[in-house]
Amino acid sequence: MSAGGKAQEHEQKYKRDVIITTIARLMIPFIQMYALYVMVGTEGAGGGFQGGVVFAASFVLFVTAFGITKGRRRLPESWNAALSSLGLYFYAGIGLLCIILSLFGAQYLNYGALPLWTIIGRPATRGLSITFVVEVGIAITVMAVFASIFFDLAWKGGEDKEDNKEEGGE
Amino acid sequence: MMEWLIAEVFAKYNYWVSIVLMLIGFYAMIAKDNLMKKIIGLNIFQTAIILFFISLGDVSIGGWGGGVTEPIVKGALPWETGGIVEHGVVYANPLPHVLMLTAIVVGAATTAVALALVIRLHEEYGTIEESEIIEKERELP
Amino acid sequence: MKAITASALLFVILLGALFIYVAEDIPAFGDPNSPANRWINLSIGIDARSHVVESLNEGIVPDALVSEIKNRGLPLPEGYKVEREGEGWNILIPKGEMFYPNLEKYYFIMNEGNRLWVYRYSVPVRWEERCEEEIGVPNMVTAGLADYRGYDTLGETTVIFTAGVSVILLLRRRGKL
Repeated sequence: MSAGGKAQEHEQKYKRDVIITTIARLMIPFIQMYALYVMVGTEGAGGGFQGGVVFAASFVLFVTAFGITKGRRRLPESWNAALSSLGLYFYAGIGLLCIILSLFGAQYLNYGALPLWTIIGRPATRGLSITFVVEVGIAITVMAVFASIFFDLAWKGGEDKEDNKEEGGE
Repeated sequence: MMEWLIAEVFAKYNYWVSIVLMLIGFYAMIAKDNLMKKIIGLNIFQTAIILFFISLGDVSIGGWGGGVTEPIVKGALPWETGGIVEHGVVYANPLPHVLMLTAIVVGAATTAVALALVIRLHEEYGTIEESEIIEKERELP
Repeated sequence: MKAITASALLFVILLGALFIYVAEDIPAFGDPNSPANRWINLSIGIDARSHVVESLNEGIVPDALVSEIKNRGLPLPEGYKVEREGEGWNILIPKGEMFYPNLEKYYFIMNEGNRLWVYRYSVPVRWEERCEEEIGVPNMVTAGLADYRGYDTLGETTVIFTAGVSVILLLRRRGKL
């Protein structure tokens, strides 16, 4: 990408490279699927934090291959606030749900008190609520935050016009 | 003399490695001028602490490695021994892993905020050497 | 050399000396009996006479040990049980927590050098033994993060969220955001 300095003194403009764009187009879906596989932390190593970070790494690959303007269009600014709060709502929400659904009999974040345990039994309730609610919430928050941090640190003020002139308004 | 050497130095080599890394990172945080080098020193410090804590959870019988497995229950998955849990397996201590996951994530968040601060400082003063920033601050009215 | 480099070197050397002085308390690498991994010696001991051993085999803890444990402030509520395991005896105490199994391994009495010493089990022993039947998740680390230590993970997710918000606030450019 460009060396430092002001926007008018770019020596190297962003060039579109065939090899990198082809490989990125092949690899990004597989990286995201691997992130979802790592996110299920119950049957092997992994967990919410690890899966979220691998998912954010796919955004970094996208920006490296296609330029930051197109990357910003895939994860706009308005989605960032929504996604990073949504994960935290899941986590705190299931804790509150345990208090309410057991009619104030259990404590906060006591997954064994959800009324699902009459169907499956207490160990399976705790396992399912870990995998499907807690880890998903953590992964969403971590992914949104790390991708947004990367975009903020890498954004330059004048890149908007340069990239659009290069691509011919693609 | 030999017994003291074996008992103190060779048996605790995880402690000495971690101390050396910690002091390297600490020196880099204090004595270097460039702000990026200070951030790298902070990261080295955190990594040394995390390594030491995880090495405390190793339970190899008789020391010196071998014989301990990761903290995932063996045989509980259906494709390993048909889902029957094996007994008598020695597991590593899972508590340091849990605490250090939190520490790693907090370290990453701190590094992100520090890098954002460095970018702002560079926009304001035009340099990231600490001594030049102090001199420019002194010249202002 | 500049002043700050010399003083930083001096400070680092002093810290290194302090770490060398403290090194005798650190357990050896891979010690299975260190306090973090297995048990902690509470240094409560009585002589191992034969009638004491027989009463332990039947399931009654001698009064001297009970009074000593209670004087220290350690928990020993009514309804405890004594079991023999290997070379020593486990004391299981009722915890009274909701939806958790009721009797839990807490103390260990070992006969060493003709005296009976009392040890206390550390927390991960319960994780390793009960993880599969309480939660149904084979991975002890994820079970510990999301269920046994769920509050810590909630606070940590808040830390990540705060870091994201603060980077946005710091790098707000004119005209963007």
